[in-house]
Amino acid sequence: MTENAPSLPAAASAQLRASSDVLIRRGKLNRSWRGCAGGIYAIWLREVKRATRDRGQLIGGVVRPLLYVLIMGIGLNPYFRGEIYGEVRFVVPYTYVQFLFPAVIALNIMYTSVQSAVSVIWDREFGFLREVLVSPMPRAAILFGKILGGTTVALFHGALVLTLARFADVSVSPADLVVGLGLMFLIAFALTSLGVVIANRIRSFEGFGVFSNVVILPLYFLSSSIFPLDPALTSAQTRVIYPEWLVTLIKLNPLTYAIDALRGAFIHFQQFDPRLGPAILVAMSILFFLIALRDFRRT
Amino acid sequence: MSASPAPAVEIDHISKRYGRTVALDEVTFSVQCGDVFALLGPNGAGKTTLLHILCTILRPDSGTARIGGIDVRANPLGARRSLGVVFQEPSLDDRLTVAENLEFHGLVYGVPKAVRRARIDEMLDLVELEKWRDTLVRTLSSGMKRRLEVARALVHDSRILFLDEPTAGLDAQSRERMWQYLRNARQERELTVIVTTHYIEEVENCDRVCIIDGGRILADDTPAALKARHGHALVRLAARDEMASAEIISAHPEIARRNGEEIVLRSSGDAFTEELLQRFGTRIRRLVIEEPSLESVFLALTGRELRDQAAGARERTYEFGKRGGEHTR
Repeated sequence: MTENAPSLPAAASAQLRASSDVLIRRGKLNRSWRGCAGGIYAIWLREVKRATRDRGQLIGGVVRPLLYVLIMGIGLNPYFRGEIYGEVRFVVPYTYVQFLFPAVIALNIMYTSVQSAVSVIWDREFGFLREVLVSPMPRAAILFGKILGGTTVALFHGALVLTLARFADVSVSPADLVVGLGLMFLIAFALTSLGVVIANRIRSFEGFGVFSNVVILPLYFLSSSIFPLDPALTSAQTRVIYPEWLVTLIKLNPLTYAIDALRGAFIHFQQFDPRLGPAILVAMSILFFLIALRDFRRT
Repeated sequence: MSASPAPAVEIDHISKRYGRTVALDEVTFSVQCGDVFALLGPNGAGKTTLLHILCTILRPDSGTARIGGIDVRANPLGARRSLGVVFQEPSLDDRLTVAENLEFHGLVYGVPKAVRRARIDEMLDLVELEKWRDTLVRTLSSGMKRRLEVARALVHDSRILFLDEPTAGLDAQSRERMWQYLRNARQERELTVIVTTHYIEEVENCDRVCIIDGGRILADDTPAALKARHGHALVRLAARDEMASAEIISAHPEIARRNGEEIVLRSSGDAFTEELLQRFGTRIRRLVIEEPSLESVFLALTGRELRDQAAGARERTYEFGKRGGEHTR
């Protein structure tokens, strides 16, 4: 192929080259799709394998729900009755531990999601991600595999909480379980993506403690997770009982609606429009994934 | 299909700056297929930046780079397909086993299952790690990790291997073995090797050496040609008495250097040595002729020795991870 046929007119040779390019690209596309699936599987498998070998994370995933359900939930259970006030003002028709239970699932998912998202920083700075970045896998596939892996592990940690359902007096029917797991998957995916977005914006790495205190806990406590915004009260009344800023923050927090959707699935109680939860979760998943992808392409 | 294949790597006026610092300044060179090409230079010379541009994780500000004829900017995925990379910092997953790391790599590069299995066995054999197949990588020594990384870079159909300081921090024996593995690998398949290093003695066996400093190429030639052009033979001698020493030095004031009892003269060739011996032969007790080395070439071109630098931000964070940040991984 020394000097591409100089006797041909320039236009014709360019056309020839263009059409052969298309052919090559088509062949490559097929190959690259299959290659991509293998690569996504590899990255997913790596995340899952790492998680199973990480005792610390597993211990956290078991101890956290035990503390919240068995100690905080059962401990606060007697104080969560409307009758204390003489009249029925709290119309949540569930005990506190039942009310708390879906939120603990969300909490466990949250910790695990963000934890695996933080590992993106390590992967990027110290090598492992570099090795994938110089591979022929497109960035979108790499990120998708990574987030899917984190999602799977988080989903598993969320499901761990379900084994405590008995202690929380929550009976889960198979149908509830299917809907619940679907919602849990969406929550895990959205939060892992969010974690990656935040992790990408952090220049100096200070460890997981910062994430826990600055991201996870504020989002969690501001999501009507451990106390209800009374649905029997009007919006104005709620703002009298609680400070206005608190109500505003809770209503702005997308996690509020995610946890609300989980309550719908597991204890059939919702404070907000039931369509809101799934819609917000899908929107969050897509939005955060796209932002994460944009950041990721830049690196 | 053609008589003269495209060069494995072509770099044409590549520039890259970080803020005000010029990391690469109009760098141009090409590497022929099958060559072992060494980039030699002190830390901060721009070697790693250049490699990162070639493996498409860094974009150059200007200029073009082609891998096997494929432009790395226009078609990064295509360019990566033929690359095997060993980074300066270890990039293995230390929670996975040796075999799992290789399997992961094969999957990511889309190597078909049968080929993958065979290639992994072959590569473990090549770097003598088959016994550690199911060991977690975190328990391996640093030399073994480096070997595993070389093996990994060869699991897919890599035709061009980039090695960024592959032997840094290894003892002499491990370094020698590493080169042996590379030589063996080159017998198995057509492989172009581009290696950065600051161990000068390793460069002697490369086909071409490119000396780079401050983002510019100072020389690019075979080791022999570099030595012939920029190197000097040294004559080290010890005179019988103090008077003879003084006379020898005063006869060659420009090229002589006194080093205790020893006198070091920069030789311009055999004629110089002969003349020296004719004139002072009887008054010299001991004389050694040192052939020109790449060390002296480097010294002549850059005016200094290869230096090391203080730890940067990345090293510090890495240290943090080693100390206790580990649980965050």
